[in-house]
Amino acid sequence: MRYLPVEISLFTDCQFHNRFLVVENSEIIYTEFNTLLRGLAVDSPSDTSIWKLVLDEVELSVSHANFTTWFKPTKLTQLSGEMATVLVPNIFAKRQFEVKFDSMIRDIFKKHGKTVSSITYIVEPSGTSKRSVSREVHAEPTDLVNERQSTARVMAASVTAPQSSSTPMSTLNPKYTFDSFIVGSSNDLAYTACQAVAETPGTKYNPLFIYGGVGLGKTHLLQAVGNKIKSQNPSSKVMYISSETFVKEFLEHIRFKKTGFADKYRNVDVLIVDDMQFIAGKEKTQEEFFHTFNTLHQANKQIIIGSDKPPRSIPTLTERLRSRLEWGMAIDIQLPDFETRCAILEAKASLSSVELDRKTTEFLAENIKTNIRELEGALNQLLAYCEMRGINPDVSTAEGLLGDVRRQRPGHITARQIIDKTAKHFQLDVKDVCSPKRDKHIVVPRQIAMYLLRSELHMSFPRIAAELGRKDHTTAIHSVEKIEKSIKLDFITREQVASIREMLYA
Amino acid sequence: MEVSLTQEKLTRALAAASRIATNKANLPVLNNVLFRVEDSKVIIAATNLELAATTSVGAKIVKPGAVTVPAKIISEFVGNLPSGTVELSTKGSALTIKSGGYTSTLNGIDAEEFPELPVINEETSIHYTLSMADFKQAINQTIFACSNDVTRPVLTGVYWHSHDGWLYLVGTDGYRLAERRLVETTSELEAIVPTSTLHEVLRASTDTIDEVDVLFDESQVRFRVGDMEITSRLIDGKYPNYRQLLPSDTTPVATVETSELVRTTKIAALFARESSGSITLSTENETQKLSLDSVASDVGENSSKIDAVIASDGSVSLNSRYLLEVLSVIDAKSLTISYTGKLAPIVVRPTAENPEYTHIIMPLKS
Repeated sequence: MRYLPVEISLFTDCQFHNRFLVVENSEIIYTEFNTLLRGLAVDSPSDTSIWKLVLDEVELSVSHANFTTWFKPTKLTQLSGEMATVLVPNIFAKRQFEVKFDSMIRDIFKKHGKTVSSITYIVEPSGTSKRSVSREVHAEPTDLVNERQSTARVMAASVTAPQSSSTPMSTLNPKYTFDSFIVGSSNDLAYTACQAVAETPGTKYNPLFIYGGVGLGKTHLLQAVGNKIKSQNPSSKVMYISSETFVKEFLEHIRFKKTGFADKYRNVDVLIVDDMQFIAGKEKTQEEFFHTFNTLHQANKQIIIGSDKPPRSIPTLTERLRSRLEWGMAIDIQLPDFETRCAILEAKASLSSVELDRKTTEFLAENIKTNIRELEGALNQLLAYCEMRGINPDVSTAEGLLGDVRRQRPGHITARQIIDKTAKHFQLDVKDVCSPKRDKHIVVPRQIAMYLLRSELHMSFPRIAAELGRKDHTTAIHSVEKIEKSIKLDFITREQVASIREMLYA
Repeated sequence: MEVSLTQEKLTRALAAASRIATNKANLPVLNNVLFRVEDSKVIIAATNLELAATTSVGAKIVKPGAVTVPAKIISEFVGNLPSGTVELSTKGSALTIKSGGYTSTLNGIDAEEFPELPVINEETSIHYTLSMADFKQAINQTIFACSNDVTRPVLTGVYWHSHDGWLYLVGTDGYRLAERRLVETTSELEAIVPTSTLHEVLRASTDTIDEVDVLFDESQVRFRVGDMEITSRLIDGKYPNYRQLLPSDTTPVATVETSELVRTTKIAALFARESSGSITLSTENETQKLSLDSVASDVGENSSKIDAVIASDGSVSLNSRYLLEVLSVIDAKSLTISYTGKLAPIVVRPTAENPEYTHIIMPLKS
C-alpha cells in the first residue's frame, strides 16, 4: 500500500488501474483508489469496473432471465460525485430501472464505498447509422435524453438571438461566414475586399458594391461581413436588409404614417443592402435611400451593397444615387471556374460528412456551370437519394439522377448568340469575327467563340467552322484545342471565357 | 383479486394482449398477460419490450389485486366462452376463470415480476387528437411504403414530422415514398414510429371509435384508442432528408380515372411477372391516351390504352406492384401522374387543388 501514490501519479490515465484492480480484487484497495480517483476523468475505465462489480452482485440476487433482459445490456457512462448515468437499451428498461431496481443498485454502490444519491437512466441510441450521436453520448450523456428537445431549444435560440441582442432588426444568418466561403479566381477580389471591410468597417471601400449573377455567393459574402463585424464587436449595430424590404417599409411609412423609419436606418453602424436592383424605378424610395446613404456615409458608417448588375447597368437609377453607389469600390463576382466548383462541392459534401470521389465531383462540376445554388441543389439531391437508398454516391447514380440537367441546358442558347456575345465582350464587330482577317485581336476572340460553340452547344467541328465562315473544319479543331489548353494555363483566357459564359446564361 | 366482467370486453382486451405477448423472450413473464385492479377498473396489459398495450375494462370489483397468466391460453379459453359474465379470482399466483358451467384455473407468475408499464408525461409531450377516419387513411397510405430491411432501421417506421405548420407522415423503402399531410400543428415534431406499433393501433381501431389520441415525448409515443392505450418506443436515428427528392416540377403529365388505371395495371402486371413487374407507361398528347405495355418473352405481350388528359408525350418504366399498391390506397376518383424524364421520379397524386397525398415511385432502368 505504501507505493500506491507512485502508481497513481504514473497511471492517471487509468489504463493500469483496471488490471491492478482485477488482479487484487480487494475491496479496500478499490476504495482507496476510488477515493483518490474521485473527480478524475468521467469516462475512465474504473467506472466500467465499478459497474461490473455492481452487475456481478445483481446477478446473484435476481433470476437469470431478469438479469439477461434488464442488466446485461447496460453501461455506466458517467460517475461524478454522487451522480451516476446509466445507459439502458429501451424505454421499458428505463422505467423498470427507475421504479424497481434503483434502490437496489444504490445499495450495492454503497456497499462498495460509493455513495450515489441519484442515478439517471438514459435510453441508449441504437446508433447504427449515426456516428455523431454516439460521439455525443460520451461527451455529454445527460443531454442525450433531451436530444430532440435540445435541438428544438437550439433552433429556438437561434431564432430569438438577434432579437435579444442589440440589433433587433438584423436578420443575419450565422451559417454564412468567411470560413465557409470557397475562394477561387472568380471571386477572390470580392472576398478580399469584404474581409478588409469586415476588419475595419467604415474606413476602406465605402460604399462597397458587390455585383454578380444569381447564385454566385453575393448574399453569402454580404452576410459574412455582417457576421464577422458582429463577432468582433457584438455591440455594433449591423443591419442586413434587401432593397425590397426597404421599399416595403418605406411605403408602409408613407401609407400608415409610421414613425421611426428614418431613425431605424440612420442609426446603424453597418448597413448591408442586398438585391439593390429592386430599387430601380422607385424614385421616392431612391430619394429616401439617398438621404440614408448620405447620413451614414458622412458619419463614416460602412455601407455594403449587393446587386445583380453594376450601378451603371441598373435601369432608372437616379443619377445622384448612381454616382454615390459608384463612389467607393465596385467589384464583380464571376462564374466560378471548374476548380472552384469542385472545391465548393467537396466542401459542401464534407459538411454533410460524405466523401465524394473525384469522378462524381467532376461530373457535377462539369455539368452545372452557371449557378452555385443549382450546384448545391444537385449535390443535395444526390446525397439525399443515396442516403435513402443506403448507397455511396458515385458517377452513375449522379448521371441517373441529374442526366436531364445536362441535356436541357443548351436549349435556349443559339450559335448566333455565342458569336454575338463573344464579339461584344471583345468590343468587336460580328462581321470581323466571321471574316477571314488574321489580326491577333480578332483571332483569339474567334477561337474563343469556336471553343464556346463546342463546349456549350456540342456542335460538330465542320458546323463550327461554317458558323464562323471557315471552310476547313481543322481550323475549328485546332482553335478548340488551343483554348482548352490556354484555359488551363492562362488566367486571362479563363476569365474571358467565364464572363462570356455568364453573359450567355444571365 | 376477485372481479367479474363481461365476456365481450374481456375477449377484445385479451385478443390484443395475446398478439403482443411473445414466447420468444428470455423473460418468461413476457408470455403473460397482466391483470391488475386499479380504481374501479381492471387493467389488462401485455408487452414485448418494444410496445405495450393496456386496456382498462370496467368491472365489478370485489377484491383488488394483480396476477399474470399465459396470454395465449387465457385468450383462447375466454374466446370460446358463451357471452355473459366472467368471474376472475386469484389464489396465490393462480387465476381461476369461471363463466356459467365452465371453470379453468391457470398457473401464473407473480404480478411483481411483470415489467413496469411505461408512462408518458402528458404535460411535456406533444399531443394530437386525430379523427379516426383521417388517421386510418393516413396510416394506410404510408405504412405499405415502409421498408422491412432491418439494416436500415429508420426506414422501418413511419416518419411523423412537422413542416411549415403541418404534420406530415412519410413512409419509404428507398424505391418509393409516400407522404401524407395530416393536420395543422404548431409543435416541432420529428419521430419515427415502428410499423408494428401502427399495425397494432390499426387493429385496435374499430368503427365505433371516432378519435385517436396521440402523445409523443422524446423517446416514446402513446396512442389511445377507446379504452386501449398502446405505448411504443420510437425508432432512434435521423430520417433521410427526403424533401430534396420531391421533384420541384409536378405539372401533371397525365390525369386519369383511378378505377380505369387499376384495371389496366392489373392486366399489364400479368405479363410483367418474369420481368419483376416492369411495365412501361407512355403518354401521347395527340391522341390523349395513356398506354401501359408489358412483355413476357414466353407468354406474349400486352398493350392497353385508356382515355386520359395528357399534357405531354413521354414514357417511363416502373414496377407494376408499386403502382398497384399506391392505387389501392389513394382514395380518389381520379389522379395525376407526372415525371420529367426517363430516370426522374414518378409522382402520383390525387386530383385536387392542393393534394394532401404525394406518392413517388422511382422508375426502372429499362
